[in-house]
Amino acid sequence: MRRGATVMLARAALLLGLLAAWEAGGRAANPLLTVPPSAVLPALWDLVRLRSYPDLAASLLLTLREIAAAYGLAVLAGLGCGFTLAFNRLVGRAYGPILAALYAVPAVVWYPSLMLFFGLDAASKIAFGFLLGFFPVTLAVLAGIRQVNPQLVIVARSYGAGPLTVFARVMVPAMLFTLVGGLRTGLALSVIGVIVGEILGSKAGMGALINHAYGLLRTADYVALVLVTLVLVVGSDVVASLAERRARRWTE
Amino acid sequence: MRDPRVPAIQAVSVLAVLAAWETAARLAWMDPLFVPAPSAVARALGRIGGAALAGLGDTLAKTAAAYVLSVVLGVTAGLAIGSVRLLREVLNPFVIAAYGIPKILVLPWIVLVLGFGTAPAVFYGTLHGLFPVMVLVMGAVRDVDRTLVTVARAYGATTWQLYWKVLLPAIVPSVVAGMRLGIVFCLLGVLVVEMFAGVRGMGYVLSALANGFQAPELFAATALVSAASIAIVLALDHLSDKLSHWRG
Amino acid sequence: MTAPSQLIAIEGVTKRYATSSGPIEALHDVSLAVGAGEFCTLIGPSGCGKSTLLGMLGGLTAPDGGRVLVEGAAVTGPDPRRVATVFQDPGLFPWRTTLENVEFGLELQRVPKARRRQAATELLGPLGLRGFADKYPRELSGGMKQRVAIGRALAIDTKILLMDEPFGALDEQTRVLMGEWLLDIWRRTRKTVIFVTHSLHEALFLSTRIAVMTARPGRIKTLLELGHRYPRAMESAEMVALRARLWGEIREESLRAMQ
Repeated sequence: MRRGATVMLARAALLLGLLAAWEAGGRAANPLLTVPPSAVLPALWDLVRLRSYPDLAASLLLTLREIAAAYGLAVLAGLGCGFTLAFNRLVGRAYGPILAALYAVPAVVWYPSLMLFFGLDAASKIAFGFLLGFFPVTLAVLAGIRQVNPQLVIVARSYGAGPLTVFARVMVPAMLFTLVGGLRTGLALSVIGVIVGEILGSKAGMGALINHAYGLLRTADYVALVLVTLVLVVGSDVVASLAERRARRWTE
Repeated sequence: MRDPRVPAIQAVSVLAVLAAWETAARLAWMDPLFVPAPSAVARALGRIGGAALAGLGDTLAKTAAAYVLSVVLGVTAGLAIGSVRLLREVLNPFVIAAYGIPKILVLPWIVLVLGFGTAPAVFYGTLHGLFPVMVLVMGAVRDVDRTLVTVARAYGATTWQLYWKVLLPAIVPSVVAGMRLGIVFCLLGVLVVEMFAGVRGMGYVLSALANGFQAPELFAATALVSAASIAIVLALDHLSDKLSHWRG
Repeated sequence: MTAPSQLIAIEGVTKRYATSSGPIEALHDVSLAVGAGEFCTLIGPSGCGKSTLLGMLGGLTAPDGGRVLVEGAAVTGPDPRRVATVFQDPGLFPWRTTLENVEFGLELQRVPKARRRQAATELLGPLGLRGFADKYPRELSGGMKQRVAIGRALAIDTKILLMDEPFGALDEQTRVLMGEWLLDIWRRTRKTVIFVTHSLHEALFLSTRIAVMTARPGRIKTLLELGHRYPRAMESAEMVALRARLWGEIREESLRAMQ
């Protein structure tokens, strides 16, 4: 109990210390390069009142829609691909290593090709977010299936369960935890993919606003926009972690 | 038992995809402006080979610097934080947050402060590679078999000996796993910076080719970086197998 | 006061642990003196503080009250020049070979490489590990692992050897054979051994004295003097009677511990 309080106190102190250091550093440095938190707050206020960027809501919505499309496609393709590879031994052993090798390539190398192919609009961001989210989902399916205790399948079959029942009653619950973990990672990566795509080149969306603020050296606005985007990132992960907790409670 | 059909299927699949792609491109089912035929890509590789290799060398040099920094800082910090319980408990959420937050959001600011060129690329590459290594090492140190620590204490190990002879060797497999993960992250970071604000390097080459609508050259350059990064990871896998020979 | 022949003196030792449901007294006013060359076994129900007592002798745990003396000096921390410990979990370093594991203590004491290698190699014969010098722990059986751990303790050549249920994780047959082997080693090296076990057979087969401990809070309930007559004829009337008496003492405490 006492130890827990010490830890929380130390964390709070560290956080305050970091903010204080930022404030002090921000005041001392070139105002074009760094802004202290005290200058970010008014900028943030202007931003949420749609004063500095009237199209904030539209940009947020666009980014959200890109994320939703990218993630939705990633989940569909990832589950499909994962189960195909997992249930067909030969196919899995042939294509699994190819998939793993592709995973070892930093995905951003594909982005210029995607931009060339899909253009500067939403499609290229969706494609990149999809690409990033697809791998963790697929790999989680493969890892999850490998985790299922074969004894459980044998028991279920000896009690007369058919393949569908085995899948729904044994495989899915046994692999759910790993699967949901992969789905969470996939969401985080789809979000990052969309944001990276927008920052590397776009005409609309949060990334475009961030680039605009940075390009005009409106550093306080830039930090405010980053904070709003962070809310989006953290929010999506919180939703995913709640889903993960539910799944864990259900399987345990 | 290795299934002889596996490499056969792999080879046939790759060839089939290439053949189908080539056919489709020749029959002009796809716009060659966006999707060039493999043969065109191969010819483009010949044309840009020298320039692309120079760009790749530049990128890999920055990646190597970022990687050394990531591994050294990540292992040191992970070992220090992971082995002191209070430090670990206090800092864990900060480390996880730093690991998880999309670092692309601070990239504009990094470029603003550090300018264009090598420094932001190495810095941003390190930022990407550092945390996966650190998180893995922290977890590994926490999970070191307590009996080994007790044995070392009973045999009179000094603090230095405890770190050097027990904790460090015990986390070697995790360090190697972190090194394997870290290299991809470092390369990713460097490429992103080069694409965002590069004047040299493979990331710059790729985005310049995309902006110039030079699809065959772009595909060739992409294949080159991909091959390089797969080769590096395979080499690290090999190293990892060799270093962990004592594991059951 | 402590006689000079008493190598180890435990005087009125008390130990409490804080747990979530309040403090627990693990040891209550424990006193025990052990002379040089003895094989003294601590036996008693689970949780009676045997291992805690051993930890104090090894300097890994500090008493809350009382004193623990080795060669007349209070124990303040691990002292590998006087005391070597063998744990139930062999605790071998998986990245070290048999030889390197045996050398561990000497290495910490900065003994030059050639000398410690020689010392460890000489031990491999008596340990029954010749030919396994370059194997890693994962390649050894349970009994072999524990012999490596004992070798690591013998290598630093201390007067005192503490053994905390060293054979507790082994199967019955291996256990009996390891006991015979340990007896042989002990009689040749003339070390003073403090041995913790749950096995009546092991205690009667090996010990010069047996200290029976009570259920928590642990105290010394009875001391059995067996003397230095070896080998023990386990089926003799005398041993069978001793065994029955020992079991009677322990049974009572185990029943109390279960309540």
